[in-house]
Amino acid sequence: MFRYLVRRFLQMIMVFFATTFIVYALMYWTGGDPIQALAGEKPVNDVLRAQLTKEYGLDQPFLVRYWNYITDLLHGDLGNTLVGRPIKDVLADAWPITIQLAVIAIVVTILFGVTAGVIAGIRRGSIFDNTTLVLTLIVIGIPSVVLAPLAQYLFTIQWKIFPTTAGGDASLWDLLLPGIVLGSLSVATAMRLTRASVSENLRADFVRTARSKGMPGRRVIGIHVLRNSLIPIVTFLGVELGSLMAGAIVTEGVFNIPGVGYQLSKALTTEDTPLIIGIVSVLVVIFLVANLIVDLLYAVLDPRIRYE
Amino acid sequence: MTDIHVSSPPTVGGGRHLLEVKDLFVEFHTRDGVARVINGVSYHLDPGETLAVLGESGSGKSVTAQAIMGILDMPPAKIPSGQILYKGENLLAMPEEKRRQVRGKEISMIFQDALSALNPVFPVGWQISETLRTRAGMSKKDALNRAVELMDLVKIPAARARIRDYPHQFSGGMRQRVMIAMALAMDPKVLIADEPTTALDVTVQAQIMDLLGDLRRDLNMGLILITHDLGVVADVADRIAVMYAGRIVEHADVRNVYKHPAHPYTEGLLDSIPRLDSKGTELATIKGLPPNLMRPPTGCAFHPRCKYAKAVCTTETPLSLDLGHGRTSACHFAKEMLDGTLR
Repeated sequence: MFRYLVRRFLQMIMVFFATTFIVYALMYWTGGDPIQALAGEKPVNDVLRAQLTKEYGLDQPFLVRYWNYITDLLHGDLGNTLVGRPIKDVLADAWPITIQLAVIAIVVTILFGVTAGVIAGIRRGSIFDNTTLVLTLIVIGIPSVVLAPLAQYLFTIQWKIFPTTAGGDASLWDLLLPGIVLGSLSVATAMRLTRASVSENLRADFVRTARSKGMPGRRVIGIHVLRNSLIPIVTFLGVELGSLMAGAIVTEGVFNIPGVGYQLSKALTTEDTPLIIGIVSVLVVIFLVANLIVDLLYAVLDPRIRYE
Repeated sequence: MTDIHVSSPPTVGGGRHLLEVKDLFVEFHTRDGVARVINGVSYHLDPGETLAVLGESGSGKSVTAQAIMGILDMPPAKIPSGQILYKGENLLAMPEEKRRQVRGKEISMIFQDALSALNPVFPVGWQISETLRTRAGMSKKDALNRAVELMDLVKIPAARARIRDYPHQFSGGMRQRVMIAMALAMDPKVLIADEPTTALDVTVQAQIMDLLGDLRRDLNMGLILITHDLGVVADVADRIAVMYAGRIVEHADVRNVYKHPAHPYTEGLLDSIPRLDSKGTELATIKGLPPNLMRPPTGCAFHPRCKYAKAVCTTETPLSLDLGHGRTSACHFAKEMLDGTLR
């Protein structure tokens, strides 16, 4: 177990350097002119340009700039945005909102996706099963660029159930509709996964054993089947929570929620290279940690898995 | 705990059996049609007795057992007629809740592949003690202590130390012992063993068979041993019921069967056991395949594979012929077979 953890940490460090390097390199070669981006539409004279180039270290070779960035990053300094605000502060404002949104989405996923999946798995071929199957197909088929504005139009403008946008200091109620929209994509996947897992385990030999032990049907399903079906579901939810943490660029954009996804899309449109790299670096770390937790959880749920 | 109240009078002819299957029919309704997998099976079992049910895959031996346990999936399975009497009471007429009380407590079952038959995510102690906790109302601690006793009973070494181990941490033979311990938890009167040794090494097979024989004797249980291996039943079984295409083709004391088979199918099975003294000669086999139960052959279901088949075999289904001493054979020429005059 200890050796496994050490190996995983070494892997994580390598993945971290590789991904930040790739992002840094991509921004370096395709990022356009950062000084012009800083100045906006105004022309920049040569004196100012030379001064800014020196100030931001833009005259340094690529590898030196990457090295400087990484050493600062490892000291906890993400640098400043182009307009001079510490990136740390931007993230500190954005994270709590994104985390709330992600948690709402996951709760929605568990509440609807997993529950419906269990029922559909038990009653395979029933009306409930077929209806949810068609519904999930539709939801999977609609991209969030369509789903988010559609939900916003129907629920906030047409029927006026939820507030239209969330804004800066959003309450849980403000975030509920965006959370549901964000979760609906995982609901469909979670339902399919749960259904497959439950119906597969229902046919397993150990279910026949439990029945021949005289266990009542609700115990056979609630304990023997469900405990086994949870293994892939928890794994999926863990990875999904990780990617929801990355923020939902579309959903946050549509509902005007200043979370991580919103900041990232803003940074992309204003060509704020330091902010883009800063956010992506932190996201890489979150993904890596989420994946590690899921893998460790997997061993807890399935005793057959042992890490050496 | 609901006790099984014996209400019906003893059957005609004196002794009532512990378990009695009477003229059982089972069919499977599938998209392709109806497969009649059990066609009038009758057998009985008394306390402390071992009945071996023998047959190829698909002969209906496991389906009969699952019908007794009440764990057939219905649909697709359907039981159009027949009775399964336990202590004189028809299990098939019982409401499900009452039937459930019989399972595991009165009649228990162990399966072929213990690795898949045990739940992979629960420790063996938890699984053995599950019925004790949920059905006998024992405390967690008492139930686990009883589980250790049961594991000792089936001769699992260092039982107490292994109570928290998971099924995959045991060897095949030990896993089957866990399975047996679990089946014995509620002191059942009948134990059905469905090919308990098929998935095991030959040396381990013998140990498990011995264990089952000892437990049957010590606990005075009735044991139904389902197998396709004539070799394993010789030492353990009292009686043998040979099944073919959903029927019992021969039913007799184990000695009689080995000495003088009264059905060509039984003879074929006996001839296909490898012998040391026939080294170098080709092993006899039964030619052909078991019939498709969607479209069974006319007459005797075995006639396409029978080396003695005559014209009558293709048209008339043989009835079960009483040959005396509790022996029956469903062959038109059973008497000739016993005389040795059948050619």
